[in-house]
Amino acid sequence: MNAAAGNILEVRDLQTQFNTLDGVVRAVDGVSFDLTRGETLGIVGESGCGKSVTALSILRLIPPETGRITAGSIRFEGEELTTLGEEAMKRLRGHRISMIFQEPMTSLNPVLTVGTQIAENVVRHLDVSWRAARERAREMLDLVRIADARRRLDEYPHQLSGGMRQRVMIAMALSCDPQVLIADEPTTALDVTIQAQILQLMLELKEKTGTAIVLITHDLGVVAETTERVVVMYAGRKVEEAPVEALFAEPLHPYTRGLMRAIPRLDIEADAAGRRPRLQEIPGLVPRLTQPIVGCAFAPRCGFATERCRTAPPPLVDAGSGHTVACWEVDRVRASAL
Amino acid sequence: MTAITDDLVLPPRRFSLWTAIRRNPTIAFGGVLLLALIAVAVVGPSFVGDPFKLSPVNRLRPPSERWWFGTDQFGRDVFTRTVYGARVSLFVGLSVAAFSSLLGLALGLLCGYFRRVDAIVMRVMDGLMAIPSILLAIALITLTRPGLGIVIVAIVIPEVPRIVRVVRAVVLSIRSQPYIESAIAGGTKNAKLLLRHVLPNALAPLIVQSTYVCASAMLIEAGLSFLGAGVPPEVPSWGNIIAQGRTFFQIAPWTILIPGTFLAITVLAVNLLGDGLRDRLDPRLARRL
Amino acid sequence: MTAYIVRRLFATLPVMAVVAIFVFFLIRFAPGDPAAIIAGEDATAEAIAQVRAKLGLDRPFMEQFVIWILQMMQGDLGVSIFSNLPVSRLIVQRLEPTVALTLSTLFVAVALAIPIGVLAAWKARKLVDRLVMGFAVLGFAMPVFVLAYILIYFFAVQWQLLPVQGYRPIAEGLWPFVESLILPSVALGVTYMALIARITRASMLEVLAQDYIRTANAKGLATDRVLLLHALKNAAVPIVTVIGIGIALLISGVVITETVFNIPGLGRLTVDAVLKRDYPVVQGLILVFAAAKVLVNLIIDISYAFLDPRIRY
Repeated sequence: MNAAAGNILEVRDLQTQFNTLDGVVRAVDGVSFDLTRGETLGIVGESGCGKSVTALSILRLIPPETGRITAGSIRFEGEELTTLGEEAMKRLRGHRISMIFQEPMTSLNPVLTVGTQIAENVVRHLDVSWRAARERAREMLDLVRIADARRRLDEYPHQLSGGMRQRVMIAMALSCDPQVLIADEPTTALDVTIQAQILQLMLELKEKTGTAIVLITHDLGVVAETTERVVVMYAGRKVEEAPVEALFAEPLHPYTRGLMRAIPRLDIEADAAGRRPRLQEIPGLVPRLTQPIVGCAFAPRCGFATERCRTAPPPLVDAGSGHTVACWEVDRVRASAL
Repeated sequence: MTAITDDLVLPPRRFSLWTAIRRNPTIAFGGVLLLALIAVAVVGPSFVGDPFKLSPVNRLRPPSERWWFGTDQFGRDVFTRTVYGARVSLFVGLSVAAFSSLLGLALGLLCGYFRRVDAIVMRVMDGLMAIPSILLAIALITLTRPGLGIVIVAIVIPEVPRIVRVVRAVVLSIRSQPYIESAIAGGTKNAKLLLRHVLPNALAPLIVQSTYVCASAMLIEAGLSFLGAGVPPEVPSWGNIIAQGRTFFQIAPWTILIPGTFLAITVLAVNLLGDGLRDRLDPRLARRL
Repeated sequence: MTAYIVRRLFATLPVMAVVAIFVFFLIRFAPGDPAAIIAGEDATAEAIAQVRAKLGLDRPFMEQFVIWILQMMQGDLGVSIFSNLPVSRLIVQRLEPTVALTLSTLFVAVALAIPIGVLAAWKARKLVDRLVMGFAVLGFAMPVFVLAYILIYFFAVQWQLLPVQGYRPIAEGLWPFVESLILPSVALGVTYMALIARITRASMLEVLAQDYIRTANAKGLATDRVLLLHALKNAAVPIVTVIGIGIALLISGVVITETVFNIPGLGRLTVDAVLKRDYPVVQGLILVFAAAKVLVNLIIDISYAFLDPRIRY
C-alpha cells in the first residue's frame, strides 16, 4: 500500500480486547487499513468478526469497564488517537469524525426532540448560539430530505419512521462537516426500499461535502453498490483487501468466496424446473475468540486448508493492483472455480 | 453496550462451587449469614439461660464478661433475651413469607386466569396497597387480642398484594406468548396448560419477592412490638426488648442498640439473599431495581 | 392534558372507595364483639352497649354503611370515643408536625439520593459506587427506631449537639423548628434515601447501556450533559415511581419516628388511639394516610406525562 499523504485515517495493527467472565475476547486482532480523503471504504464480515468493534475503537467508544485497545495505532490526519487525551477525543467525536449506528430505532434519545439532538452537536463543536444551531439543524433536515423540517425539529423520535430516524442520524452526524463518517450497518434495520434511499443519500452527501466514509456491513450487495475499496474481516483479522471491482471479479480468500456464494443471485439462468443453484452456507462456526488462534482463523472451515494453515498464520501478501490477501493457498484458490 | 460482546462466540460454562460463590457473592454471604442466625434461633435457646429470670440486684449492668450484652431494668440478661428474640423475628419473617407467597400465588393465578376475578381482586389489592402496611397491621391487631398468630396474619394481609402483582404479571405475560395463544386456539385445556407454564416461570420472581416480604415482615413485627401493638410484651422479641429499654435508654443504651443491631443484621442477611437471588434468577427484574 | 389529569383523578376514586369500605368492614367483621374489645377487658355490659350505640353498631347493617359513607363525604370522620372530640379536628390539630417532618424528609432525601445514585452509576464498580451501594444496602436494612436511637445516643446524649426529642412549631422560630426536625428527618429518611439511591443507580445503569447514550458519546458531548440530560431524563420514570412507592415507607416510618422523638403529630395520635382502642380515630387516620398516599401517586402519575413524551395523555 502506498502511504500517500492523501490518507486521512491510518489504522495499524489494531488490537481490541474485552474482559468477560469466560476470559479475554480478542475482538480485533491486528487489523490495519487506510482511508483516503473523500473515499468510501467498506468493511465486511459476519457478525462477531470485529468490524463494529473496529469502528468503536477508532472513536475510542469501547466501554472502559469491559474492553480496551491493547495495541496498535490509529492516526487521524497524522494525529495519534490511541493516546490522545479524553477531552481532546471528545472534541473530535461528532465534529471531525462522526458515527451512525445500526439501530435507528434505539440510537436516538426518546425523550429529547430531534432538533435538540442535532443542535446540541453543533453547539458543542462549533462556536455558535442555540438559535444558530437550531437553524443549522433545520438546514440539515432539509439536506437529508425530511419534509417540513421546521415542524420536525420539535418532534420526538417515536413520531418518526425508521427511515426518517436514520436520516436524522445522518443529519446529526454531518451537522459539523466531519472529515470522516463511520457508518456501522446503517441500513441493516431498514426496509429494502428505504435501504436504497438511505445509501443513495449518503453517497450524494459525500459528493457534496467530501466526507470520507467507512461503511461497515455484512451485506456484500451494499458493498458492491456503494464502496470503492473493501476490507474483509474474519475472527478479528483482516483476510483480504481490494478495490471493489477487483474483489468481485476475483475474490482470493476462501472466506470471501464463501460469502459470495451465500449471496442470492438472479443473474444465473434458472433450469427448466425454475430452480436456481442452491445458496451455499459456509460450513462450521466462527472460532472462539477467547483462545489464541494458531494459524489461519478460517482453516477449520476451509476446504483448501493444509497443515501449514493450521499451524502458521498466513501473512498478507500483495496480489497486484492494490489487492492483498492473507492465505497460504492463494494459488490453489485462484486456480479453482468460484 | 452489551451488544458489542453479545455476538462474540463464548465457550460454554462449567459449574463449580467456587465459581458459583465468586459470581454470586451476595447469595453466598446473605445465605451463610441467614443460616447462622437460623441456627442461633433454633438451637441457641437451649444453650442460654432463662430469658425471664429477674435479678433486681443486677439491674442495668453494662456489657461485661458475665453479661455479654448487659442487663435490663429488671436485671434480665439481654444476651439471653436477644437469642430468644431471633426465634420470634425469624419465625414471623419466614411464616409471613410462606403464607403470603401461598395466598399471593393462589390469588395471582386466579387473577391471571379470570378477567372478572382480576378486576375485583386487583381493586382490593390497590386499596390495601394504599394503606401503609404498619398502619394496616396495627388496625387489624387492635381489633383482636394480641398474640403471635394475629401478628402474623396482620402482616400477611398488607404483604399479599406485592406477591399477587408479581404472579399476575407473570401469568399475563405468559398468556400473551404466541405459543400459549396458539395452544389455546388449538383447544388445549386452558388452566392445565397455563399452570404447567406459569408455575416454573413464576417461581423465580416469587422466591425473590418472598425474601423481600420476609425482611419487611421482620421490620414490621419489630415496629409493632416497639409501638406496643405487636406480640404480647412478655414475649422476648427484639421489638419488645427495644420498647422496654426506651425508658432507660440514656443510661443503658445497650438494651436498645444490641437487639437493634441484631435485627438490622438479620434483615440485611435476608435482603442480601434476595438481591443475590434476584440477580441470578430474574435478570429482567434485576435490571429494573 | 387536562383530560388526562381528570382521568387520573377519577382513577383514584375506586381505590379510595376500597379503602373506605375496608375501614368500614374492619370494625364490623372483626372476630369477637368490637364494642366489647373497644370498651376494654373488664367493661360492664352497660359500658359495652354504650360503645355500641356510640359507634352506631346497633343499627341495621346497610344503614350503618350509608351513614358512614355520607358522613365521610362531608368530611365527618366521627367522634373520638376517648376525648369526645371530632376526629377531623384531632387530625387537623396534629397535622403540622407530621407534614413538616414528612415534607422535609422527602425533599432532603430525594435531593441527596438522586445525585449519589447518578454518581454511583457513572462510577459503576468503582469505590464510590461500592460506598453508595454499601450505604443503600445497610440503610435499607436499618430499622427506623434503631437508627433513631443510635442518632440520639451520639448527637443528643454524647455530643449534645441537638435536642434528644420533642417538636418546636415553626411559630416558635425557624432554628428551633429546624433543630427539632434534624434527627427525626435523618432517622426517617435514610431508608427512603437508600431506596431512591438504589433505583437511581439501577435505572441509570440500564439507561447508560442504551444505544442512544452511545450516540450521545459519539457526538463528543460533555459528561455532565450525557449523564444529567440524556441519561437521567430517561431514567426518571422508574425513579419517580419509587419516590411514590416509598411514601408508604415514610408514612409507616412517621408513626415510629414520632413515637421515638415524642413528636405530637399524626403518628403519635395513631399510636395513642391504637393503645386506647379509640377506633373512630384509627379509622379516620387510616383514611387520611391512604388519601395522602393516593394523592402522591396521583401527582407522580401526572408527572410521567412531563417526563416521557411517549406517554400519551
